[in-house]
Amino acid sequence: MLTLLARLFKALNSDSAPGQVAFGFALSMIVGFTPLLSLLNLIVLLIACVLRINLSAFLLGVVVFSALGYLLDPVSASVGEALLTLPSLQALWTDAYQSDWLRVLAFNHTVTLGGLVIALVALIPVTLIARVLILQYRHRLLAWVNRLKIVQVIKASKFWALYTMFAE
Amino acid sequence: MTKWIRWSGLAGFLIIVGLIAALVVLALPMAIRFTIEFVGSKVAGAEVSVADVDVGLSPLGVTLRDVQVADARQPMQNLVQFDTATADLELAPLLVGKAISQQLVVDNLQFHTERTTSGALPVSDVAEESNEPGIKEKTLEALPSVDEVLARETLKTPAAGKALSESWETQSQAVETAMAEVPDQAALSRYRTEIEEITSGRLESIEDFRQRKARLDALKAQFKKDKQAVEAARTAVTTGKQEVSDRLGELKRAPGEDLSYLKDKYQLSGTGVSNLTGLLFGDDAANWAREALYWYERIQPYLSDDGSEDDSQEVEEEKQARLAGEFVHFPTDNPWPDFLIREARLSGPFDGGSLVIRGQDITHQQKVTGRATVFTATGEQLQKIGDLDARLTLDHTGQRGRDSLNVAVSDWAMAPVALGVAGAELSQAKVQLASQAVVEGGVLAADLKAKVRQATFDGDGQTLFARELNSALKGISQFSVNATAEGKLSSPAVTFGSDLDRQINAALSQRLNAKQDEFEARLQKRLNQQVAEYAGDYADELQSLIDMEGSLSDRLNSLTELASTQLEDFKAQQEREAKEKIAAEKAEAEAKAKAEADARKQDLKNKAKNQLKSLF
Repeated sequence: MLTLLARLFKALNSDSAPGQVAFGFALSMIVGFTPLLSLLNLIVLLIACVLRINLSAFLLGVVVFSALGYLLDPVSASVGEALLTLPSLQALWTDAYQSDWLRVLAFNHTVTLGGLVIALVALIPVTLIARVLILQYRHRLLAWVNRLKIVQVIKASKFWALYTMFAE
Repeated sequence: MTKWIRWSGLAGFLIIVGLIAALVVLALPMAIRFTIEFVGSKVAGAEVSVADVDVGLSPLGVTLRDVQVADARQPMQNLVQFDTATADLELAPLLVGKAISQQLVVDNLQFHTERTTSGALPVSDVAEESNEPGIKEKTLEALPSVDEVLARETLKTPAAGKALSESWETQSQAVETAMAEVPDQAALSRYRTEIEEITSGRLESIEDFRQRKARLDALKAQFKKDKQAVEAARTAVTTGKQEVSDRLGELKRAPGEDLSYLKDKYQLSGTGVSNLTGLLFGDDAANWAREALYWYERIQPYLSDDGSEDDSQEVEEEKQARLAGEFVHFPTDNPWPDFLIREARLSGPFDGGSLVIRGQDITHQQKVTGRATVFTATGEQLQKIGDLDARLTLDHTGQRGRDSLNVAVSDWAMAPVALGVAGAELSQAKVQLASQAVVEGGVLAADLKAKVRQATFDGDGQTLFARELNSALKGISQFSVNATAEGKLSSPAVTFGSDLDRQINAALSQRLNAKQDEFEARLQKRLNQQVAEYAGDYADELQSLIDMEGSLSDRLNSLTELASTQLEDFKAQQEREAKEKIAAEKAEAEAKAKAEADARKQDLKNKAKNQLKSLF
């Protein structure tokens, strides 16, 4: 966990583009809001690996959004059920259901579909908000944070040693 | 664009996926084995073991070797075991956790084989088998022992005996208390002597008279008190006598009433054992039914799953870290329930030949597949059975499940069957059997028709009943048996009918009547014993009360007589004596006058006589 946090701070404070960090963080919403072990998340992992996004932000996002997803599951289930039972979409779902490989994506699973839809809807806004927050952090808070005693204590800790090791 | 692509990431992804796949392939046999043993043990209520599991990747499939399912009721026996079971698996459904097999083949399927170790689970949550007696035992037990009857029933005889005993205690206490105040014979004698003393002898003076009168008055006051005591005692005795007499009457009537009641209740008549077929075949039929019901009840809860996991797994969801959600299914020719075997073929040795069982659409989520699960069983080259065909349909595709079983057996050479009555045995027979059973909404409707031909009965019973039964059976070469079971699955009403009944009814009726008479005689004897125990000496005591009542009446009469004694006063005595003196003097004067008159009369007579003599 310490290593992960160290990597995040490295990413946040490095030359990584704020957009790459922000998108990596936002993409993890899909993994966090849907059941973890699924082919869908394998595809998301593939995207995260292949695209030049910040993997530390992605992995930390998985942890954060999985916790959030635990609370959001009832909403996801309701959204998924509403969509899957919407009469106007029945033809679409029925056609999709005839394909084994679409079914493998578990699109007909309430929590999976609901969580995916919520994550996709929130993907761009979260990316933009995260990007703005990262920029604000780097421009306004970084110097002030470095002056905090707590940060100075942290810099004297094992965590900081790890951070510097990854930073090199 | 290329600056957004990280090709090294693709390699990393492939490595990650490869590692996961390798881990799954290595762990899958162990996971399958653990799942089968764990879930199987829960379902069977006994140990389920799998010797080996192989997972093949091309084609994707699983092979189980040496699978044994122990019998929870007989842990040293396997309920079923087979050498190998091979099933292919479809990859796509497996990726979403659904086990779907196109074909399952089970070889060397065997039932009720011996085990070397016990198959009982360490902590069994299976309810113990109830050792309920069969129909035959129940019928024979319809007539309990006399002691059991007397202990079981609230009868009038003991209650009446107790009432008599309590009544006697109360009344005898009252009589004893009253009798303590009653003068005894010695007191009466003393009273007589004293009265004799008072009333005898001459009153010498006025003072003598007064003293005697005072003594007599005191005695009369005592007599009055004694009379009241005697009256009270007599009332107590009369009441006691009536009460005890009534209770004794009730006690004497009670055994008759009790016997009548018990005869009605414990009647072992033709009605009590109206169905002799049930008596003869009930146990076997009940065993078969129990066996079928045992397994049906075990699998039935798994048949009504509609694929919406939140219904059937509500409890599990509470324990899960995240909400499970549910799959929504759409019309398709290729449904994916959680578990499905499209075709199964199970074969194994049976009755000298082989039994082949075929299954179709085996799943616990028939609402997803939209098709019922069907099993057919066919016997091939069987030794004791000509043809065996069975078809089991488990249809839970609709809201209301409907399960049906049809069995047809021809030329079944029945093994010798001990009838369990009077040593009789159905030594050989050929049976044609057809039965069907339907369970719908938890209600069973089943019927069985069997024709028994070439029947031969044996029996070596020596009793009158056994001889009569065996002679009746000897003349029977064929008969039919009909059975029905209707009602709730857990407690159906089972009836048996057979023309065999009519043929041996007379013999059994005779036996049962004799048994009934014997039972009644024993009951009567025991009830009479109870009456004797309770009544006992009370009859004598009642007689003593009656005698006592007579004695009290005598005493009362004596006291009344004594109390009527009067003492003459002194003046009256003087007047009486004067009158007596005058009367005595008068009598003396009259006697004297009469004597003088007689003398004068004799003298005149003599004179007249002499004058007459002088004339002649």
